[in-house]
Amino acid sequence: MNARSVAAWSAACLFIVLFTTNPAYKVLVLAAAIASLAAGAGLNRMRGLFSAIVLIAAFATALNFASAHLGRTTLFTLPQQIPALGGPYTLEALAAGLSGGITVGAAIVAAAPFSLMLASHDVMDALPAALSRTGAAIAASLNLVPSVAASFVQVSEAQRLRGWKPRGPRSWAEVVVPVVLTSVEGSIQLAESMEARGFGSGPRTSLKATHMHRTDWILVATSAAAVIAFIAGKAADWYPYPTLHAPAIETVPLAACLLLFTPVMTWRSRG
Amino acid sequence: MAIARITHLSYWYPNAPDAALQDVTLQIEDGLTVVAGPSGGGKSTLLRALNGLVPHFHGGRIAGSIEVNGMDVIKTPTRRLARTVGFVFQDPELQTVYDVVDREVAFGLENIAMPRTEMAARVEEALHGAGVSHLAGRRVRTLSGGERQRVALASALVMRPRLVVLDEPTSQLDPEGAAMVLDATMRLVQQGRAAVIAEHRLERLLAAAAALVTVDKGSVITGPPTLPTTHPIARPAPSQPGPLAWSLAGVTAGFGNHTVLDAIDAAGHQGEVVALCGPNGGGKTTMLRLIAGALSPTKGTVERRPGRIAYLPQNPTALLHRPTLRAEVAMTLERAGEPDEPDVILTQLGLAHLAGRYPRDLSTGERQRAALAAVLPGKPALVLLDEPTRGMDDAARDALTRLIAHLKESGSAIVLATHDQDLRNALADRVLRVSSGKVT
Repeated sequence: MNARSVAAWSAACLFIVLFTTNPAYKVLVLAAAIASLAAGAGLNRMRGLFSAIVLIAAFATALNFASAHLGRTTLFTLPQQIPALGGPYTLEALAAGLSGGITVGAAIVAAAPFSLMLASHDVMDALPAALSRTGAAIAASLNLVPSVAASFVQVSEAQRLRGWKPRGPRSWAEVVVPVVLTSVEGSIQLAESMEARGFGSGPRTSLKATHMHRTDWILVATSAAAVIAFIAGKAADWYPYPTLHAPAIETVPLAACLLLFTPVMTWRSRG
Repeated sequence: MAIARITHLSYWYPNAPDAALQDVTLQIEDGLTVVAGPSGGGKSTLLRALNGLVPHFHGGRIAGSIEVNGMDVIKTPTRRLARTVGFVFQDPELQTVYDVVDREVAFGLENIAMPRTEMAARVEEALHGAGVSHLAGRRVRTLSGGERQRVALASALVMRPRLVVLDEPTSQLDPEGAAMVLDATMRLVQQGRAAVIAEHRLERLLAAAAALVTVDKGSVITGPPTLPTTHPIARPAPSQPGPLAWSLAGVTAGFGNHTVLDAIDAAGHQGEVVALCGPNGGGKTTMLRLIAGALSPTKGTVERRPGRIAYLPQNPTALLHRPTLRAEVAMTLERAGEPDEPDVILTQLGLAHLAGRYPRDLSTGERQRAALAAVLPGKPALVLLDEPTRGMDDAARDALTRLIAHLKESGSAIVLATHDQDLRNALADRVLRVSSGKVT
């Protein structure tokens, strides 16, 4: 699998889900992203991601439901005296919030193959030569992420045993400051190590060549076709206010979204 | 033949009033040169001067000259010296760029734009040189510490350097991992390369060394490779253990679906030192965290007597964040409501002269002792130490041993998770082996 073809597919998913206001197409993009990721990475590796997406989408939905007091179908009303939250809670605001939640969820799942299916060097190799030094630096810094997480657990445990108690946001400085200092020191040591290995000498080469296979070209082609078809198909917009109505579904934009399911076939062998 | 010549070299880190290296004159010949000396004496600075990290990366002021393989280090950027001097750092985790072994080893070659057609053979040669050919293609995160450090060695060898410099490469490793790295280093020397290694475990290296360089307070003494005189650690007089201080009864614990400790029973008393030994991943740290109450068991009961717990985690220097070492110790005492002066423990650990320094400006070995000072002051009821002697020189280890003996006499219950057999021999009343989830 080539990172460039994955990038083309992710970009197509992101374009459609952010371009349209129509939740029917957003749902299709989300379904395509989930199915493709399941085929490529396997369901087991997606569990944590799913939990995070459900939480984020639920938050986006709840935020719109609680803050946009628009629409005609009132479900219940809180007293106006309650700051920010007071007013009518409508079905239309709930639907708009849900559509926003689906957008966020689809965007995250569409970008997830970069972390779940590709190694950092795959992504680096796919970058243009001019960006290869930046890519190497990013790849190196990504390797520090697990140690930062472990350091956070270790420091908070040890500080607690040293008598620290979490009392409000300021008290967290005693955990966050050592973790940040340790991370900065880790980054400096990594930079030192990279310098000692000739990093920054000039143009770089790569151990492995990146090849686009037939399935990669198919994915790039279908992703491009999906974007072009979606623009050409002039998908109808959807606006739930003042009265909720079902989103329109047209043939060409529908076909465009279905093209995004291509990785289900091409990535299946990795599942 | 001399591979490196250092002449009247002095070096000051930025904003440091004292020189880290003072008028050092030294010649490094082919073969193995061992660099020894106390923590904070200037070993790492000297080694970094050999590949130009000092002064090019760290800044500061420098006087005198260094020449490696005919190149003027002060005038040559480190990235150019990388082809001549290979460098292996202490912490294997903080020198990894890629997540796959062969890519990691090839990083240096990619940086100097070596054609792809030549790279594969060079990577294979370097992996072979470091004795890790079998690791090609493996994910770096799946490797043990010893394997990772040997991959770091291969990453240095891939540039075919004239000189390989290793800065305490075994300080973060268990004995098995350390043995792997030292074996690989010895092989390197047998193959005819020049190597300079800073190391506390001198016994194995000195037999093969061409020279011993001792660095202390920034000055250098060269001499024949003989073991420095050490004083055996006096074992504290045996004492009758007091009442039960902690116990684990039928305890099972782990992470997610992975069980680390399975139905274990263990206990310790006041005034008793219990040492935990066993392989990495066997469950020593998990057991300490259970006793400390930082981790809850999935089954069984954990009991401990009331009182302060002094807990030293595996990476203790991560704790340090106060502006001075004295403030770091004072914070623990203040929270514990204990009247001791911070300088008491600083003196016991040989750190009194560093009390006003920012802890993170100290050397690695000094920071380890600083972290111990930060958690151990006063009269803790329970002392839990995870690999407390990692990276320590002999003097620091002696000081720690005396402090633990003192805490024991004061009635503290002590549990040490350690690979350090000398420390166990000197202090432990009982040794528990923690392996494969069981305690024997």
